[in-house]
Amino acid sequence: MGGRSRGAAQLLSGKGFKDIFNLKGGLKAWQGLTAEGPAEFGMFLLTGDETFDEIVILAYGMEEGMWIFYETIKENVEDASAKELLAQLAGIEDKHKEKLFSLYTSISKSEVNLDQFEAKIVSKVMESGMSTDEFIEQNRLAMQDIPGILNIAMTLEIQAFDLYSRYSQKATDKTTKDILYQIAQEEKAHLKSLGQLMDDHI
Amino acid sequence: MKWKQLVTPVNSMESEVAKTYMSDHAEGTYTLLDVRQEGEYEQSRIPGATLIPLPELMDRLDELDPEKPVITY
Repeated sequence: MGGRSRGAAQLLSGKGFKDIFNLKGGLKAWQGLTAEGPAEFGMFLLTGDETFDEIVILAYGMEEGMWIFYETIKENVEDASAKELLAQLAGIEDKHKEKLFSLYTSISKSEVNLDQFEAKIVSKVMESGMSTDEFIEQNRLAMQDIPGILNIAMTLEIQAFDLYSRYSQKATDKTTKDILYQIAQEEKAHLKSLGQLMDDHI
Repeated sequence: MKWKQLVTPVNSMESEVAKTYMSDHAEGTYTLLDVRQEGEYEQSRIPGATLIPLPELMDRLDELDPEKPVITY
């Protein structure tokens, strides 16, 4: 289950830790089993010189991707409590999108409407990545059971947390700072609920 | 919608390399960090691993020494 540890390694690298290694294949590889970990997938790593508009757009794209991810796996999960949690998580990502869109319009002072924003601006920024379908397809092997799905979901949430917490520190405008900080807190809460769900399924 | 795909600076370590690393380096000179949940840790873990489940990591960074190499799993 390399996703979570990779997310952790990435978080540490942003916090001044010097030498960080992610154990390839995690505990499974360690035990000498042949099982493959989840496919390595794109990390939402920021270079640090993005403009504020770009951050908001990137965050919006990530929320959209996470929303689709939760909605898709919700359909493939039978367990009722997991379904309910996934629906809740998707709902919160949807609210994050609304917040980010209004943040974008106020920062960029642009009159763009939501459809234009999604169709032109966000898709352009995100076009170098892989589609959510491809993402799910690549990670299908690792998502055959609830712990596998949760592992990937937690990996995404830590990415999101990392993105928002770093940029809330960076933001100079108080309103923007507060909004990003609040979203970071919500992603952190997501991580906790996913952790609890993991405890219920192992 | 597309997932932004960028290169991560985090190095991977093969498990054989990690085994050699751990046998060549004294306990306490590096941190082996287990970020899974407590139940997973209890079921099976690499000896000597420190447990900090991922959801708690950002609140417990002060428990780790940033000067020491960290191997995460």
